[in-house]
Amino acid sequence: MHKYILRRVLLLIPVMLGVSFVVFTIMFFTPGDPAKIMLGERAPAEEVALLRTQMGLDDPFHIQFFNFVKNAVQGDLGRSLVTKRPVAAEIWSRFPATLQLSAAAVLIAILMGIPIGIISATKQYSAFDMISMVIALLGVSMPNFWQGMMMILLFSITFRVLPSSGYGTLGHLIMPAATIGTSAAAVITRMTRSSMLEVVRQDYIRTARAKGLSERVVINRHALKNALIPIVTVIGLQFGSLLGGAVLTESIFSWPGVGRFMVDAIRTKDYPSVQGGVLMLALTFSIVNLAVDILYAYIDPRIKAQYK
Amino acid sequence: MNAGTRLGVVALSLLVMAALVATGCAKKEVGPSKGQNVDTLVVAMGADARSLDPHATNDQPSARVMKLVYNRLMYQTEDLKIENDLVESYNAVSSTVFEFKLRPNVKFHNGETLSSNDVKFTFERMIANKAPAAFLVAALDKVEVIDALNFRMILKYPFGPFVTHLAHTATSIVNEKAVTAGGADYGRNPVGTGPFKFVEWKAGDSITLAAYDAYHLGAPKAKTIRFRFIPEDANRAIALETGEADIVYDVGPNDYKNLDAIPEIDAKRIAGLTTFYMGFNMAKKPFDDVRVRRAINLALDVDTATRVAFEGFAVPAKGPLAPTVQFADTSLPGYGYDPAKAKQLLAEAGYANGFKTSIWTNNNPIRVKFAEIFQEQLRQVGIECAIEIMEFAPYLDRTALGEHDMFMLGWVAVTGDADYGMYSLFHSTQFGDAGNRTFYKNPKVDELLDKGRVSVNPEDRRAAYAEAQKLVYEDAPWVFLAFREDLNATRNYVKGFVPHAAGHHNLYKVYNE
Repeated sequence: MHKYILRRVLLLIPVMLGVSFVVFTIMFFTPGDPAKIMLGERAPAEEVALLRTQMGLDDPFHIQFFNFVKNAVQGDLGRSLVTKRPVAAEIWSRFPATLQLSAAAVLIAILMGIPIGIISATKQYSAFDMISMVIALLGVSMPNFWQGMMMILLFSITFRVLPSSGYGTLGHLIMPAATIGTSAAAVITRMTRSSMLEVVRQDYIRTARAKGLSERVVINRHALKNALIPIVTVIGLQFGSLLGGAVLTESIFSWPGVGRFMVDAIRTKDYPSVQGGVLMLALTFSIVNLAVDILYAYIDPRIKAQYK
Repeated sequence: MNAGTRLGVVALSLLVMAALVATGCAKKEVGPSKGQNVDTLVVAMGADARSLDPHATNDQPSARVMKLVYNRLMYQTEDLKIENDLVESYNAVSSTVFEFKLRPNVKFHNGETLSSNDVKFTFERMIANKAPAAFLVAALDKVEVIDALNFRMILKYPFGPFVTHLAHTATSIVNEKAVTAGGADYGRNPVGTGPFKFVEWKAGDSITLAAYDAYHLGAPKAKTIRFRFIPEDANRAIALETGEADIVYDVGPNDYKNLDAIPEIDAKRIAGLTTFYMGFNMAKKPFDDVRVRRAINLALDVDTATRVAFEGFAVPAKGPLAPTVQFADTSLPGYGYDPAKAKQLLAEAGYANGFKTSIWTNNNPIRVKFAEIFQEQLRQVGIECAIEIMEFAPYLDRTALGEHDMFMLGWVAVTGDADYGMYSLFHSTQFGDAGNRTFYKNPKVDELLDKGRVSVNPEDRRAAYAEAQKLVYEDAPWVFLAFREDLNATRNYVKGFVPHAAGHHNLYKVYNE
């Protein structure tokens, strides 16, 4: 198992190198001169040229890329062209907000999605199943920005119970987390239901029932455990992508997260921030995936056995 | 792992998640809804500040905060008059030498007393750091300290708007000791002499300032000011409606109409300093012919287009300078809408059958709307016109290189002075990136703009700019489009708020009743 984890961690290195290469290449060939952005539109050409040399922007592509990777490994993602602060610090200062929102959303999604999915599967074609599947379909189809606006309209303007935007209190968290959480819940519900439906038809479930086990034990201990692998995968994917910032939801609720930071950076052509942001995104996504893979082993002893 | 342990792992994971959620949620609600927190003024604006170091940035959100944290040597009032701020008196010894006397006993937020050395340090640092707004003091040669309160500013050449530029937020006076102590992070720990001192900056969320009780003009009325960053126009308006914000900057035209209808809200519209225009590339045929340029001015129904594009929140432009700008000539008649005369002029210029051309614009919806309206109106006088929409950065690069035919842009005369509003746009030394993207060249206009720039006598300046505006109007390097209004709104319990045309509003005497 340790060997497995170690191998997965080592695999992160080529993944990150690949991501850096792609991001760096895209930004390298995007029009716009970072030196000019830093000095402003009115800067004389000589000063721009001087800064280009100082920043190493005149070096050939491979040297610039090598320097970028070298610095990134040491935790130096460069300085933002806009705020002039280290990119790592800029991202780090926004990460708690993103983490908080993602965790809350996933928590809502799990607490709603799994139970509803299980009940739907065990009571297939019942009224509960029909209704929850329709709601889940709505949840998947409803665009987040629209749902967010509607919630603001309802809870902030009409009932005046929740703040319409901002960050800092539990009240501020409820609507953005619910917006993302419900759409994630819909995905998890559907996945839980279909995965469970497949498992409950297996022979060993019939055997468990034949042994006279109570329905609760059959479902929770025998069926759910075997149905959990795809569900955990979906949860991991959702959590991973949320950590990259739920851009639209963050904008609607003025949530000061990484997603909004990245969008602003793209808009202002803040190259180091975009590069650093994407790199950080890739890293968190890989780590969450790794965590999911490790979790598999705990859920399914067969997987663990392969690595002994 | 047995079932119990597994359950434990799951429970633990959920608990960790819950704990993550709870982080940062422990704080008490500080929302200032009506009447609850009268001492805190909550101001919503569209973007986060970049830095509170006046020599690191020149963007609007930062300027709005710096306006309150710092003072300048001079002060620009809401009707754009220049008064003394940190300066008690000054006099022009010659056209290039100014002597200033500072107010005594002005204290920085760190307890240091303001002295001439701080002024010298400020301007030397501004130039040495190549501050984005260093062009404002390009004329400055050096600052000579006479004594603690007296200093001399010596210019390289006479520069009429110099004293006006000393009122710009980018020339805010900093304290050497504080800047040194702050190091690379000074922009996040600013120290000024202003009515509010810096307290906290939550990146992407808010900046909090507290009243500086030892302010030299007396403590401000509000105890705390919280700038909140709400990027969506509609959400800023909602925040005002629900009482989460007391003042909202840059209200969208649609929201303005809604807010204006609410009795608890005071919506305020004022004339701004921004000019919108469509420029011709005069280095290219057929735009080198003044008859063609005038014809296009006549062929376009600018009044209607402005009303549509700005939803009524702009006035049609008659000349290059917004009426709020100092020395603007408001007597220019404007070209008016006369397609018949336009056709006649085109025929005289040898384009009786029109020609093919294009309008370039960046992906700014208002500019795109103008371009679409003009495309149709130009078609009616025989001009076939394509619209090309592009990203802002390549748009600026390519128009600077002169690859365009016609293009849509705006210009903010941030200092409120005609020099800022005209020099970069119409002087022949400013071709391309510097601002003159029409490649307009008129030696007489050059001479007048130079005269307006170096003269220190306001009446001479007024005369020079009046003539320059008349010539520019006649030469028609632009279609003069519109002067945008600035829209802001407050709750009606907010007292003392007077918006400033430059967009950075003074909140010193503003409070919640």
